[in-house]
Amino acid sequence: MDTVALAILALGAMSLVLGAVAIRRDRPLCWQFALPAPLPATGEGRFETVLDYRPETGQAHAPAILPRDGGLSVVWFEGSAEAQPDVDIRGVDLIRNGDGWQVSDPAPRLTRAALGRALEPRQLVVTLGNTVAHEAMPGRFFATVVSVGGWAMAAIADVTMSPAGPVTARKLDLSPILNRSFLVKSPMLAYADGSHALPAYFEMGPTFGALVRFDAKGRVRDRRWMRSRRAKVIQPMIVPLDARRALAFLRDFDRSGTLWLCRSADGGQSWSAPEPTSRPNPSAPVAALALGDGRILMAANDDATAPDALILSISGDEGASWREIHRLSGPGALRYPMLRRVGDAIALVHSTGGKRGIAAHIMSASWLAAR
Amino acid sequence: MRAAVEWAGLAVVLGWAGFALAGLWAGPLGASAAGAAVAALVLARRGGLVVSGAMALLSPVGVMLPALALRHMAAAWGLPVAPFATAELLIFLAAYGLFLASAMGLVPVDLYRLGYAPVPVAAMVLAVCGYGLWSGALFLPLVAVAGQALWVAGLGSSNWFDHVLHAMLVPVVVVALIARAG
Repeated sequence: MDTVALAILALGAMSLVLGAVAIRRDRPLCWQFALPAPLPATGEGRFETVLDYRPETGQAHAPAILPRDGGLSVVWFEGSAEAQPDVDIRGVDLIRNGDGWQVSDPAPRLTRAALGRALEPRQLVVTLGNTVAHEAMPGRFFATVVSVGGWAMAAIADVTMSPAGPVTARKLDLSPILNRSFLVKSPMLAYADGSHALPAYFEMGPTFGALVRFDAKGRVRDRRWMRSRRAKVIQPMIVPLDARRALAFLRDFDRSGTLWLCRSADGGQSWSAPEPTSRPNPSAPVAALALGDGRILMAANDDATAPDALILSISGDEGASWREIHRLSGPGALRYPMLRRVGDAIALVHSTGGKRGIAAHIMSASWLAAR
Repeated sequence: MRAAVEWAGLAVVLGWAGFALAGLWAGPLGASAAGAAVAALVLARRGGLVVSGAMALLSPVGVMLPALALRHMAAAWGLPVAPFATAELLIFLAAYGLFLASAMGLVPVDLYRLGYAPVPVAAMVLAVCGYGLWSGALFLPLVAVAGQALWVAGLGSSNWFDHVLHAMLVPVVVVALIARAG
């Protein structure tokens, strides 16, 4: 036997050992959703606007809710215009103060330069986009990062924050195409074992929604997709119905004029082909939240005659029908909603004035129960 | 540690680019000096716009690109390097095109996600070793196992394919095929 053959056999033996190590330490993913407890509908019914921020110039868009002690932070991207090389992440803290909310002044939270230095390996960051809280790791969030090109060349960075700014960051390994074209918009999804999954989407020409799973170290361990041949579906908003079943509402990038929907019956391992719903949608993302009592709360631009209005609706039949409970309008288009529980209340954030401002509202469970 | 591995890979790849350009005018010694200078510059200027932009473009660098770069430089120095057969390059290009198409959702199977899972990765690495044994070539098994070692150690991407493949292989292989046709 020649030297090359012996060397290859030795490599094969080494591979067997490496494979055994990897298989032995791999932990199977849990595919059972964690369901939220019902909100206690006690106290006064209130819907209050706690933030109405409008920068003097430029755009502020795509707000996200980050949990924090005593309240929440709202962060968004802001600059001369979307995807420009002067966009950074800014934000405010909303702290519960008796019956009201104390709001800090808007301030930079994540700059391109600081993120570039924190990324491992260090690299250029040209612009920033949507952010989402890392529910499994307090103090961290996911940011949409563009180093080269536009949104189609974006990647998702997992950023660890300190009060002074980003400490470390790394891009999620999601694509073999120079690790490009994955973005975030919707909040993470909880599983019964305490792990979380990240809804994401791919938009390099072809589009699809994805559900990203992580290992114990926070590295990508799996991804499952929501793929359509009939629409360019992006920005999946996933709502669990029980331990195994979930709905994913999807925006159609192609402007079919309707909201799309796909379903999972196996904890998110597979998703049905997305179908158009009867709900109008001006190619805008929606926010949805399981209320824990079988109802789903949704914030969406689903009035075809008033596509700029943001409408809160409730479904009691797993999304088959919806009842409008509240309407927010103007100035300009209200877009990119996000909903999240904050203690015994629900926070709603969205952009205002066609990407020219940020609003945040807090609604109590009693207010919802009365509708 | 991930950063160190990535920077070493980028320094080799960009150093090779310097080597190849200088090789148009200089012999192996001069070209190697130019390549080493470029590699040193990469490591020294990690925060600079050009180098951090190159990292942003090429990361995760993986094993294959630096390995091909080192292989090319070794051949220029006269070391025995068995070239890939034209048929091998053509089959690779077709298979890799299918792989990229699947990652973009253009075919119904997501091949890329196999690279996160230990059993498929172990099977693929052993298959590459088997191919190397059959063809009598060490290079591909070496890259496959080195990529598996980095993947298991958590150094670099959590997907094995990112260690052993790279989108820049498409232009590299196309240029190699065109050069052969000429």
